[in-house]
Amino acid sequence: MNNQIFYEDVVEGQEIPVLEKQVTTVNILMYLSTVWLMDRIHFDYPFATQRRGLPNVVAPGNMAGDYYVQLLSDWAGERGELRKLSIQFRSFMTPGDILACGGKIISKYIQEGKGYVELELWIKNQNNINCVPGKAIVELPLKGLKKA
Amino acid sequence: MGESLLDKLGWRKYIGQETPSYTGETVLARDIRRYALAIDDLNPIYFDENAAKKGKYGGLTAPLGYVSWAIGVPGGEKSVKELGEDGLATFVGVPEFPNTWELGWVRGGEELEFFKPVYVGDQVTVTGNIVDMSEKDGRSGKMIFVTSLFTYKNQKGETLAKHRVTMIATPRKES
Repeated sequence: MNNQIFYEDVVEGQEIPVLEKQVTTVNILMYLSTVWLMDRIHFDYPFATQRRGLPNVVAPGNMAGDYYVQLLSDWAGERGELRKLSIQFRSFMTPGDILACGGKIISKYIQEGKGYVELELWIKNQNNINCVPGKAIVELPLKGLKKA
Repeated sequence: MGESLLDKLGWRKYIGQETPSYTGETVLARDIRRYALAIDDLNPIYFDENAAKKGKYGGLTAPLGYVSWAIGVPGGEKSVKELGEDGLATFVGVPEFPNTWELGWVRGGEELEFFKPVYVGDQVTVTGNIVDMSEKDGRSGKMIFVTSLFTYKNQKGETLAKHRVTMIATPRKES
């Protein structure tokens, strides 16, 4: 890859490029059937709304983690690596939502000769609600072999 | 704060307890492809063996978040009649205590630490234990927090990921 991002390229406070995702009932069905998850809140509208009081069927929360994996793996590039991801489920992602997955660098440090950045993450829906806030640590390659 | 629900349930003694170990079936290219399609992550390293060979992992791998599903759904493959009314049998992070399913469970949060990806052909084993339990009074009643820490390893014994899951349980409301 030509556009590899390096540890030296980033600064604290910098935001990374946003990944836009759209949840659809079809994506939810694909997910449920491939991991064999039969929780009715994810596919049964009357059950989800009338019995559980939800606004709609809701996407499995894990999908948010997958969105962050895509956001950060793509950003880290061939030579970088997502090392740690923590997420908190605050608000449901529902079909029709247009989600902006983004992050901001809150710190960077070198440890044992490797470069790491710590990010604060968000998945904001069209109403600007951060459905699944998170944090991550991403390893980025160093341009030179500087000692820490 | 009223009477402790954790005490009433008698669950405190399970803090530190190991959770059952499971080994999944061999991960297929099809599993990975369908998972990547479901999350709409179309990176060729999940679909195309040649692209994957040239990519950073040198072979077909799953998106990192797949690791917790690579063990399958232990105890979850049941007939419709055996499943609960809400469609759930068991769920990763929901402990198998007495009276577990008298409560409603939702995921609170989780933390994944990644060491290696899951490759096609891998067989993943999970081990874990309950690391913490607490409770508090929420807006709509008691809430119990159960945090488990799982470790996923491949067939070579290499650690793939560590996974800390916090589940929140609340007494079910009949409607």
